[in-house]
Formats: sequence, structure tokens, C-alpha cells
Amino acid sequence: MKKDSNKISTSDGGMSAEAELLQVSSSPHMKARASTRSIMIDVIIALLPAYIWGICVFGNRALLIGAVSVISCAAFEGITQFILRRPVTISDFSACVTGLLLAMNLPVTVPLWIPVVGAFFAIVVVKQLFGGIGKNIVNPALAARVFLFSWASDMTGFVKAGDRVNSLAVNSGADVTASATPLASLNSGALPSETISDMFVGNISGSIGEVSAILLLAGGIYLLFRKTITWHIPVSFIGTVAVITYLFPKAGDSFDFMLYEIFAGGLMLGAIFMATDYATSPLTSAGRVIYGVGCGVITVSIRYFGGYAEGVSFAVLIMNLLTWYLDNLGMPKRFGETVKKKKES
Amino acid sequence: MAYTFRGGIHVNEYKLSSESPIELLPDPSEVRISMNQHIGTPAVVCVNAGDKVEIGRVIGDVPKEALGCPVHASVSGTVKAIESSLVSAGVTETYVVIESDGEGRLCDSVKPYGGSILDADAEKIAGVVRSAGITGMGGAAFPTYAKILSAAGKAELLIVNCAECEPFITSDHRVLLEKSAAVIGGVKTLMKAVGSPRAYVAIEDNKPHAIKKMTEVLENDSMIDVKIMKTKYPQGDERQLIFALTGRELAAGKLPVDAGCVIFNAATCAAVYEAFLDGTPLVRRVVTVSGDCVKEPKNLSVPIGTPASALAEYCGGFVKDPAKIVFGGPMMGLAQWDADAPVKKNTSSILFLSNEFLGKPSSSQTCIRCGRCVANCPMRLMPAYIAQSVMRDDIKGAERYGAMSCVECGCCSYNCPGKVEIVQYIRTAKNRIRSEAARSRSSANDK
Ligand code: SF4
Ligand code: SF4
Repeated sequence: MKKDSNKISTSDGGMSAEAELLQVSSSPHMKARASTRSIMIDVIIALLPAYIWGICVFGNRALLIGAVSVISCAAFEGITQFILRRPVTISDFSACVTGLLLAMNLPVTVPLWIPVVGAFFAIVVVKQLFGGIGKNIVNPALAARVFLFSWASDMTGFVKAGDRVNSLAVNSGADVTASATPLASLNSGALPSETISDMFVGNISGSIGEVSAILLLAGGIYLLFRKTITWHIPVSFIGTVAVITYLFPKAGDSFDFMLYEIFAGGLMLGAIFMATDYATSPLTSAGRVIYGVGCGVITVSIRYFGGYAEGVSFAVLIMNLLTWYLDNLGMPKRFGETVKKKKES
Repeated sequence: MAYTFRGGIHVNEYKLSSESPIELLPDPSEVRISMNQHIGTPAVVCVNAGDKVEIGRVIGDVPKEALGCPVHASVSGTVKAIESSLVSAGVTETYVVIESDGEGRLCDSVKPYGGSILDADAEKIAGVVRSAGITGMGGAAFPTYAKILSAAGKAELLIVNCAECEPFITSDHRVLLEKSAAVIGGVKTLMKAVGSPRAYVAIEDNKPHAIKKMTEVLENDSMIDVKIMKTKYPQGDERQLIFALTGRELAAGKLPVDAGCVIFNAATCAAVYEAFLDGTPLVRRVVTVSGDCVKEPKNLSVPIGTPASALAEYCGGFVKDPAKIVFGGPMMGLAQWDADAPVKKNTSSILFLSNEFLGKPSSSQTCIRCGRCVANCPMRLMPAYIAQSVMRDDIKGAERYGAMSCVECGCCSYNCPGKVEIVQYIRTAKNRIRSEAARSRSSANDK
């Protein structure tokens, strides 16, 4: 941002002898270090424990799926930006975050072309065609996941934690025994056979990165600590689910039922990492709380009454669409405005 | 518990010169004194090239009815030239250039105030303050006499703003330590003038020495209290200061006096005291010379009109090439076009900043909607949405999201990970909103 300016005077030897131009860009003249890239790296760090757990309990194939997904996302981002003549911004790592989230939302048994198709949909269709980072309307990874439900049988091949799938072939092979997730039994009105502590630790069947509630929570606390996210969305989202399921349990003791519901399915991953996606969630505090509550209500409604097993993805996608309205609704009262009104009345 | 406000940011303090005592800069060989020293009507030059002047001689004055106060010669010597030049803000300013004879002769008109301050009323005190050419020395440079007159009888609380929340600047800190008697004397004079029964000296808790010193000096004073403020930017902003101390929120466009307060800067108080004590008008001020390029950051007492380069030279020159010279703090200060830009009455610091310090200007400014700017904005505006509206050319939208209430503190731009120059967009919005309002007014007049 250099503009024309006078030269630094060199009235004596102590002063600069170089005829440098002075910058005169406007204030502030200092900036914090945090950048889009450092934020994305923080998100990746926060996701890794839960993802590594996924690799441990679901086998090496989970690692391969992650790699395919991340590399495809980065490649599609670079290629699209190149074709659209936009600056190529793979190095901000936002595509890698999308890739990692997408992989963590897939069952380990999916054929390898699934993450590639998902990456294409997430990055090209949802993100870049809407203008790139910060401009997309819905969460790319979630939209891709829902799109991939078109291949429903491939997308529901969940295995038990510990039944490690190590096949690195395009199709995982027939030796896989699919297992119902705890969420499926909850939705059918029965407490699952897994214990609550299994659910908390992640000894259950499910998508690669969604099973370990405790590690996802740890990642969330890291992000809160780093001020990457605020508490509003995760707390209001999970809190709403907790309150509704506690008040209206479908089976067993209401407290147990509530715990199963909040540890089951993609709620932790969704509430901490997907619903908080910057581009597609409100940036005012009040807007964020309403958004989180909305996500919670829709999630439980779909789980209780819907045809799909998982409500989190749809709930977040629906609330994504309301982001702009929620920001205007949640616009803070300007400094001095409340006081002024009081004075006038 | 220290007093504070909501929002704002923590910035790296870089108070490199807080331990350096104020040093007297010898009169430079030449000073260039701007006639735009304050908000209001610029002064009109009342000397001619070739005139002999002494320290304290009026060289520029404003008509009595206009908002503004006289400008005085800061060195003794000969008026070399009267010139106009373009300054960074894109406006032309007139300068009186005085070649110093190094003798430091005082003008005959510099005399101590004759009577007792106890007998003086607001009018009289304001008169002395006006003819001493005193303006706010913290930033906005509002003529102090006008502030006194507008607050007289209406302010129940006088606040001495010693927050000094901008990084690098330590001039007020040193003034508090080394001229505490003058500051207190000024505070008492100003309290008398505006008729306020109480005063707070508000100091951020990153200046424990100053807090200790002022607490000692004010130990037996029942009317003036030291208030410890939490170190957070922008604590020194008038609105946030009033809120922190009184809980009253002052909407944009309102003045402190609407909340029953009047605020003076510490250096301004000391200047008022000196104007009464020995009659010295505002011809010197303490300037912090700092930044990562300066060899020995210092606090200097310098004649108004001294070129920035002379200050750098006195501080041992540069260890790195400066890429930007800023008058004021790094958050709100003004970048200068010229290394010889002269010190003004409100120049609390001059910073020489290198390219490494400034960082590379980002090639892409992309909002990722992280929400930091909204959370940090002390005025509780929607900075991201204002910037976005400006980018889309939607000036009405920018207004709706609060552009006109922005105090340009820079918290939003500072913390933006997408490196969006939000404040710059907001300034654009303000200019467009103002010019559109002016246009609709003038077209209404045409009808
Ligand atoms: S801080 Fe920057 S990136 Fe974050 S919302 Fe504001 S403008 Fe957008
Ligand atoms: S919008 Fe204005 S008042 Fe708010 S943080 Fe930015 S510069 Fe400060």
C-alpha cells in the first residue's frame, strides 16, 4: 500500500541514506498476528485427537480416507481457483479443514471415490461457486455429506469400534460386518446396548471422527481457549438437545436417555466443529445463541420424527440459511443507545 | 478491582521509553509551526518574513468569535518564511518557519498571572487558557478554553485522562511522574473553572510508578482521587473512560458534558498550570520518540514545530530504516508524508516503524466471518457488515450497521485474521454518508 511520498531526509550520517519511500496507509499501524491460516491450523489441531482415535478403532482405512479427502479438497480448491482466475489460496488450509471434516463424517467402509465426489461437491459447488472462503452459504463438508447420502448403502456401512478395517482397496471388501449405531436404536425407542462410558470414550460404531465425545470436547475446549470459537453455539446447541431429550425421553431413565442422545451420532462433532463454521454461522452473540437453539430443536425433531437416522447435518444446514437474518436480529444495541432511550422516556 | 469497559482488545504495549526521564531538546536550528494546531478555525499568520520573534510571541491568531486559539513562536529568532504545503490528510496547511538564533529569549508578553486563581471565574480562566494557546494535547486538539466554557457549571466530575492506552506512548506517564505538582495545580485550576466538586485521575494499571506517585501527592486531598484502570485498549477513549468510571454510556454524537463529565489530558492540565504560574504559553510539549527503528527511545520536551527528523537524530538515529513515521499511537495515529513533519500541540509521540514491524500488507483482504470485530468493537457496531456494505457500494447498509458511530479506534482491523482494512472502509462510508447528506441538503435548498 505504498503511495507517493517524500523521501526521508538524510540531513546527517545517522539517518538513513537510502531513499526509501514512506508508507502513509491509514491507521491502525499495527496488527495482531492471527491469520486465516493460523486459525485453520488451530482447527486442525483440535480435530486431530478425535480423528486419530478414529484411526485406532476403525483401522488404517480411516487414515487413507482422510488423506484422499484432504488431498482432493486441496486439489479441487487449487484447480477451481486457477480456472476461475482467482488467487490460489490452498495455503490458508481452509480446504484441508473441509477435507478433514468430510472424512470424519464418513463411515470407514466407504469406497474411495466417495470422498473424492464429496470433496468436489464441497469445494467446487458449495464453496468456490459461491465466491470462495467466507462467502459460501452452507457448510461445505455437511452439504457434501448430505449429497453423498444419494449412495445410501455406501454411507451407512458402519462397523463396531475395534473391528479394524485395514483394506486399502477402492472398495473395502465384503468381510465387513455392518453394525447398527447407538443412535439407530435410540431412534427406535430403546436404549442401546453400549454403556454410557463406551459412548463417552468412543467405543461405539459410527463415522470415523464422530465417536469419541471426550476427545471432541477436548478439541472444543482447545478452540475456546485459543478464542477460535466462542461458547455460544456449542453450548446452546448441545444444551437444547439435552433439555428436550431430558424432558421428553423416548426410553429408560430420562437422565440416561439424555446422555445417550448427546453422545450419540454426530452431535459433538456437529455442535463443536460444524455449526461453528465461521462463514455459515452468525457472528453476533445473540445470533449465535438463537442459531444454536434452532440447531438443537431441529436435530431432536429429526431424530424423533424424521426418516433419517441423523438430524445434526440437516439441522445445521437449515440454520446456515438463516445466518444473515439472525445476525440482523442479533445486532447488538450500540454503545449509549439503551441509556439514551431511558433518558428520553 | 480496576475499572474497565466491555469489548476492546489487549495489544502488545511496547512501552520502551517508560523509564527514560524527560530530556530537554535544545532549540533546533529551524522550526515550522503549523497554523492548524486545533480543531476549529485555523490561525491567521500575524508576522511577516524577516520579523524578529521571541519565545511566546503570537505568530498566528484567530478572531475572538471563532473556535480556536493563538499560536506562539516556540524559539527566538527570525521568521524565515511563511509557506503552505500539502499534508497527509490531503489538506493544505500554512506554516511559519522560524530560524532559531539559539538565544531562547522570552517575549515581554510572557508574564505570570497577576491575581489569585481563587478569585478567577470560568470566563477569566478560559481567557488565560485561550491566550496561552492551550489545546487538548492527547489527540483531538480541541481548544481547551472552549471546553471549559461549554462545561462550566454542568460538569460534576472532572476526569484527568492518563490512561495512555496506545502502545509505545509514555509522554503522559513521564509528565505524571516528573510534573505531578503542575498536573495537580492544573487540575485544581480547571476544577475551579468548570465548577466541578470532584476529579478523578484515571491511570491504567500498567503504570504502577505513576499510580504510586499520584496517590502520594494526593494523599490529603479529599476532592481528587486516583482511579486505577485496567490496561485495555481503548481505555483512553472518552466514552469508554466515562463508562468505566461512572457506568454512564454516551451515545455517538453526545459530548462528555451530557454525562456530567469533562475530560482533560494530563499534559493539558500541566500546560494550564504553567500558563498561570509563569505565563508560558504552549510552546513546548513532551513527545515520546519511539518505534523499532529508533536507537534510544526517549521522552523529549521539544519546541512546537521541531521536525521529526531532529527528534530521531537526538535519539541516536536509526537502527533500521523506517518505512512509516506515525504521529500519535500505532492504533490511531497519522502516518506522515515527510520525515521533517513538525511537532504539533497534540503530538504525544512520534513513532518510526520498520517494514518488519508493519508486516507485509496482505494481498487479499477476505472476511472469513470470524466475528472478532463484532465482539471487540467498544461501540458495539457491526464492523464486518459495514465493510461488506461498502464493498458492495451499499452506503445505506453501512449506515444501518453503525458506520457513523465508529470512533475509529482500530480494534476491528487490529484483530482481523482476514486482514480486512475495516477502518478504512468505515472512513469511506463516513465520507460518502456525509457528502450524500450534504448533497441532499443543498438540493433541498435549491427547491
Ligand atoms: S474480524 Fe475480519 S474476518 Fe473476522 S468477521 Fe470481522 S472482518 Fe470478517
Ligand atoms: S468499528 Fe470503529 S469503533 Fe468499532 S472497533 Fe472498529 S474502529 Fe473501533
